Amino acid sequence: MSTTPVIDVDRLTLTYGGFPAVKDLSFQVERRELYALLGTNGAGKTSTLETVEGHRTPASGAVRVFGKNPRDRAAVRPRMGIMLQESGFSPDLTVRETVGLVGRLTERSDDVGRVLGVVDLTRKATTKVGQLSGGEKRRLDFATAVYGTPELVFLDEPTTGLDIQSRDALWDAVDRLREDGSTVVLTTHYLEEAQQRADRIGLMHQGAFHREGTVAELTRTLPSTIHFGLPPHAPTPPLLASRGADGKFLVETFGLQKDLHTLLGWAEDHAVELQDLQAGPTRLDDVFRAIEHS
Amino acid sequence: MLTIARGELIQIFRNRLVLVTALVLPAALSAFFITKHDVFTEMGSLGYVATLALFFVAGIGLYTTSVTTLASRRQNLFLKRLRSTAAGDAGILGGLLLPITVLSVVQIAVILGALAAVAGTPADPLLLVAAVVSVVAMMLALGLATAGLTNSPEHAQVTTLPVSVGVLAVAGWIGATGTGDLTLLKRLLPGGSATELVLNAWNGGKPLTDSLVLFGPTVAWVVVAVALAARLFRWEPRR
Repeated sequence: MSTTPVIDVDRLTLTYGGFPAVKDLSFQVERRELYALLGTNGAGKTSTLETVEGHRTPASGAVRVFGKNPRDRAAVRPRMGIMLQESGFSPDLTVRETVGLVGRLTERSDDVGRVLGVVDLTRKATTKVGQLSGGEKRRLDFATAVYGTPELVFLDEPTTGLDIQSRDALWDAVDRLREDGSTVVLTTHYLEEAQQRADRIGLMHQGAFHREGTVAELTRTLPSTIHFGLPPHAPTPPLLASRGADGKFLVETFGLQKDLHTLLGWAEDHAVELQDLQAGPTRLDDVFRAIEHS
Repeated sequence: MLTIARGELIQIFRNRLVLVTALVLPAALSAFFITKHDVFTEMGSLGYVATLALFFVAGIGLYTTSVTTLASRRQNLFLKRLRSTAAGDAGILGGLLLPITVLSVVQIAVILGALAAVAGTPADPLLLVAAVVSVVAMMLALGLATAGLTNSPEHAQVTTLPVSVGVLAVAGWIGATGTGDLTLLKRLLPGGSATELVLNAWNGGKPLTDSLVLFGPTVAWVVVAVALAARLFRWEPRR
């Protein structure tokens, strides 16, 4: 089996009118991975993604997809499905016609009815695209990306504008794609989605990678937190804690289980109620906030 | 290409505005010229009527619809969608423009056929076919170039005016006055030599070699327009 990465980005730089949107970016995506490209607004995620898809030409650096130049559409596009950040459909075509048209152009084969079923658009098959809601258009976009179960799927903010049911259905479909062996590259503003599903994450900030790794690798550099309140006249808690403007205590710790155990034991020994107790590991949100404040 | 063309054909027949601009308007105007052919023949010749009909279809139906189609597909990111597939750029453009081109050619054939049936056949049908092909190629190339300057279908109503009105004016002027005076200027104007070619093909009386030379300026316009399109055409809306 080939060990060549599905995507190989080497020192990619992108410029818009001389302004560097992406600077010296390198990463690889392995077969069957779900790789999430996350970042602050304007970090360069979509520009990077569109370059890897073959929509943009790098100012410098190299991008290989399946070992080929992604701008060689005839060579790489039959193996990849693309869900763009913004839909581009003809409003006068029906949903069925649109999936059939784009599907045939991918040079993969599939059953349009099956694909519409995956995204729950069967009932809208004869509806013109111009009459769809924003969420339905996103689902249509997803349908065209996964037509024919491509080896590589790009999902640029796939769940934006979707209700919770549609989101769950979309992620179920992504899970099935991965079971079938597809590699998925994702950008999203919903960090919990990336935290739950990504094998690895590239965190972009101002056109460059701030960090890259698994969720555990990204979050272990920041402490876990314990929040709680205390009734008036309670004794001083046993852990080093800061106090917020709302009077609540905050403990930052790299030993969450041990410190939580200490705190709970102290509360029981002193018959003190820990009000609104919340404890948890570091989340991607915390890593993001740390980036934005850095 | 044919997959895209099929989708475009469906859209042409579902969009009333495009249908009117591409089919109904040129056909109605051409029908008017044919029914009043004796009046226009007095102003110029029977070839003059053929020229006006040809340029109404090519200038309004083909050219304007081509620009509007490309601008519209770019504005709603459909061009980007198509470029996300395995289709090549030439195939995408070919597919988008093929239906309106075929419809226009069929319209021209029907209209000129009707004129021939009503008023008399052209002196050199083969030369006429070649002239029509050159006009269609020129208007398509000009359409591609103009689409590069056009941001939206609404904007197309403005950007297409100079060429569509220009070629009609040139055809009207040369059709009525011939190229006896200001010969070089008239032949170098867009549609000028093509108009003379249609007049020669329909009316006859000119040596074939004189007519063949007239393809030069039209081909030059095609080359210029394609070169402009290569520089100006964009696949995505301006950021």
